[in-house]
Amino acid sequence: MSINIIVCAKQVMDPETPSSAFSVDSDIKQVTPVQGIPPVVNGFCENAVEAALQIREAAGGGTVTVLSVGNEFVMDVMKKPLSMGADSMILIQDQLCENLDALGTVNVLSAAITRAGEFDLILCGQQASDWDNAHVPLGLSETLGIPCLTEAKNIEIGDDSVTVNSSRTDGYEVFEANLPALITVNNEIGEPRYPTLRGIMQASRKTPEILSLSDLGLSEDQMAPAMALSDLYIPVSEAQCEIIEGEDDADSGRLLALKLREAKII
Amino acid sequence: MLDYYDVAELFESEERQIQRSARDYLDNELMPNIADWWESGEFPTDIIPNLGEMGFLGANLPQEYGCPGVGNVAYGLIMYELERIDSGLRSFASVQGALVMYPISRYGSEEQKHKYLPQMAAGNIVGCFGLTEHDGGSDPGAMKTTAVRDGETYILNGTKMWITNGNIADIALVWAKDSEGDIRGFLVPTNANGFKANKIDKKMSMRASVTSELVLEDVAVPATSMLPDAKGLSAPLSCLTQARYGIAWGALGALESVYNDALRFSKSRSTFGRPIASRQLVQDKLVDMVTDHTKGLLLAWKLAKMKDNGTMAYNHVSVAKRENVRASLKAARIAREVLGGSGITLDYSVIRHMLNLETVDTYEGTRDIHTLIIGRDLTDENALT
Ligand SMILES: Cc1cc2nc3c(=O)[nH]c(=O)nc-3n(C[C@H](O)[C@H](O)[C@H](O)COP(=O)(O)OP(=O)(O)OC[C@H]3O[C@@H](n4cnc5c(N)ncnc54)[C@H](O)[C@@H]3O)c2cc1C
Repeated sequence: MSINIIVCAKQVMDPETPSSAFSVDSDIKQVTPVQGIPPVVNGFCENAVEAALQIREAAGGGTVTVLSVGNEFVMDVMKKPLSMGADSMILIQDQLCENLDALGTVNVLSAAITRAGEFDLILCGQQASDWDNAHVPLGLSETLGIPCLTEAKNIEIGDDSVTVNSSRTDGYEVFEANLPALITVNNEIGEPRYPTLRGIMQASRKTPEILSLSDLGLSEDQMAPAMALSDLYIPVSEAQCEIIEGEDDADSGRLLALKLREAKII
Repeated sequence: MLDYYDVAELFESEERQIQRSARDYLDNELMPNIADWWESGEFPTDIIPNLGEMGFLGANLPQEYGCPGVGNVAYGLIMYELERIDSGLRSFASVQGALVMYPISRYGSEEQKHKYLPQMAAGNIVGCFGLTEHDGGSDPGAMKTTAVRDGETYILNGTKMWITNGNIADIALVWAKDSEGDIRGFLVPTNANGFKANKIDKKMSMRASVTSELVLEDVAVPATSMLPDAKGLSAPLSCLTQARYGIAWGALGALESVYNDALRFSKSRSTFGRPIASRQLVQDKLVDMVTDHTKGLLLAWKLAKMKDNGTMAYNHVSVAKRENVRASLKAARIAREVLGGSGITLDYSVIRHMLNLETVDTYEGTRDIHTLIIGRDLTDENALT
C-alpha cells in the first residue's frame, strides 16, 4: 500500500521562552520577537509529522509532504520535519503572510494543497501554541470539502477509509471516515522522534520548495483579514492575600470554606 | 547553547541542527537521571544503542563503514552536548569513537573495518582502549605489556590501568610491545581466556563512567587481530589526538552547565536584601566564565576547520585541550563557590562536573604534559623526556 500525506506545520515562537523575556507591543498589536531565542516548529505539528511518518512506515510506501505558511522562515528550524524523515517540504513565504488570520491561512493552504496534487490524508496539529485558536484545520477541511476528525490518539488506515480514536475529556470516541480526510493530533498520538545525524545529513540534500502567494495565484485582497484584532496586551495579574484566622485549625478551615463559597469558587 | 559572540553563525545549518537535536535528546532522555547514575556509580549501558541510533558513536568516521560521516564541527558539537550532561557520557563516546573506531578505520584491515565499525557505530559492540599502565601514564612508551608471536598467534601479557569502559567492553584495543620492541595494537575480545577486567571503585570523579584495570595473562589472539598499519608509539598517540580534539569541545559543554547553574542561583539567592547577582564580586566570577567559554568556542571552531582541511597538528590540539579543560575546571570550582552550600549537593550539576573535570584535566595528557608538548614545539627544546 502507498499513502500520500500532507502535514501542515507552523513555525511559532518558542513556548519555552521565559516569561521575563516575553513582551508585546500594544501599539502595533504584535508580539516582540525575542533576540537569541530561535522559533520552533509548533509542538502539535511535530506530533503530526511523527504520526504521518508512522502511517507511511506502516503502509510500506508513500510520501509525507510538509506544508507551511509564513513570512520569515528560519531554515534550521523548519527543516526539522525533513530531518525526522519527511520526503519533501513546501514553504509559502510571503511578506503578505505576516499577520494572516485563520481564514487567510486556510486560503493559502488550500491553494497550495490543490497545487500539490493528489493526497490521501492531511494531518494538522490540533492548534498552534502561539494563538491557540485551533481554527485552521477546521476551516481547511471545510474549504477542501473533506471530513475532519479531531484530537486523534490513534489512526488506522483501511482500504479507502480511516479509523480514528479521538480523545475526549471523559474518554474517547471512535470515528470512521472516507479518504481523503483531515485529522488533527496532539501529544497523545506519541512523542515526535529526534532527528538523528543520518536524518539531518539526508535532509541537507532536500531543498524546500519556496513559493510566494503569486505563485499560487493568490492576490492581496484574498488575504484580507476576516477578523480584526482589537487589542493585544499582557494581562496584569493582581494578587491579594487575606489571612483567615480561626480559633483552631478546624475553625480556620470552616471559615475558609465559607469564604470560598461566598466567592462562588466552591 | 551559551554563545555570547554568536559563534554558531560560523556553523553550517546542519551543524546547528545537529547541536539542537543532540541537546533535545540528551536533555529529555539522559539529563533527568544523570545525578542518580553518578551517585550510584553506574554507567547506563542500556542507552548505548540509542546513542548509536542518534549517530553519536564515531560520528566523523566514513559512511562506507556505517558511520554518519559528519564534519569535525558537528562531531565537536556532539562532544559538547554529551559533556554538558556529564563528562562520563562524553568519555564513553570518545573512547568508542576516537580511541577504538578511529584506529580501526585508520590502521585496520578491510576485514577489521567491516567487522567492527558498523556494529560499533550502532552501539552493538563496545570498545575500550588499553594504553596506560600502573606506572606513569604520561610516559606510555615505557609500557611493559608484551605481545610474543607464536606462529599465527600472538600471546599477550601485561596489565593496563585506568581503562574507561573496561568492564562493559566487548573488545579491548590493547597496545603492547612485540619482540622487536615495537608498539602494536591488538583487538582482543574481552571474553578471551586469560583476559580479566577489574572495576575500579571508590572513585570520586567520573562516577557515571566505568573505569577498569585490565589483566592479560597469556591471552592468545590470532595474528589477524593486530592492526596491520599501526606500528610504534605514534599510532596510539594519533588516537589520543582525536580524543583530545573532542575534549576541547566537550569541556565547554561542562562549562556552560556550571555557568548556567551559577547564573540562575545568583539571581534567585538574596543576601543582605539583594540578589547576590547584583554584587560585583559575583559578577566578576560570571564574567570570567562567559569570557573563557567564548574564547574556548572560537578556539574549538578554528581547530575544527584546521582538522577538516588537514592542517591540524597534535600541538594545536594540545593548546585547545589544555586551555579549555582548565578553563572549565576553574569555572566549575568558582561556580561551586557561587552556590555556597548548595554547590556541594547533586541537586545542582557543579560539584559533579567539578569532580569529573579533575579527571578530564589529567587524562588524555595532563596539563603539564600538554605544556611540555607545546613548549617543545615553540623552543625546539625537549623538556618532556
Ligand atoms: C577516569 C580515568 C579514565 C581513564 N581512561 C583511560 C583509558 O580509557 N585508556 C587509557 O589508556 N588510559 C586512561 N586513563 C589514564 C590517563 O590517561 C592517565 O591517568 C594519565 O595519562 C596520567 O597518567 P598517570 O595517572 O599515571 O600520572 P603520571 O604520568 O604518573 O603523572 C603524575 C603527575 O606527574 C606529572 N608529570 C609526569 N611526567 C612529567 C614530566 N615529564 N614533567 C613534568 N611533570 C610530569 C603529571 O603532569 C602529573 O601531574 C584514564 C584515567 C582516569 C583517571
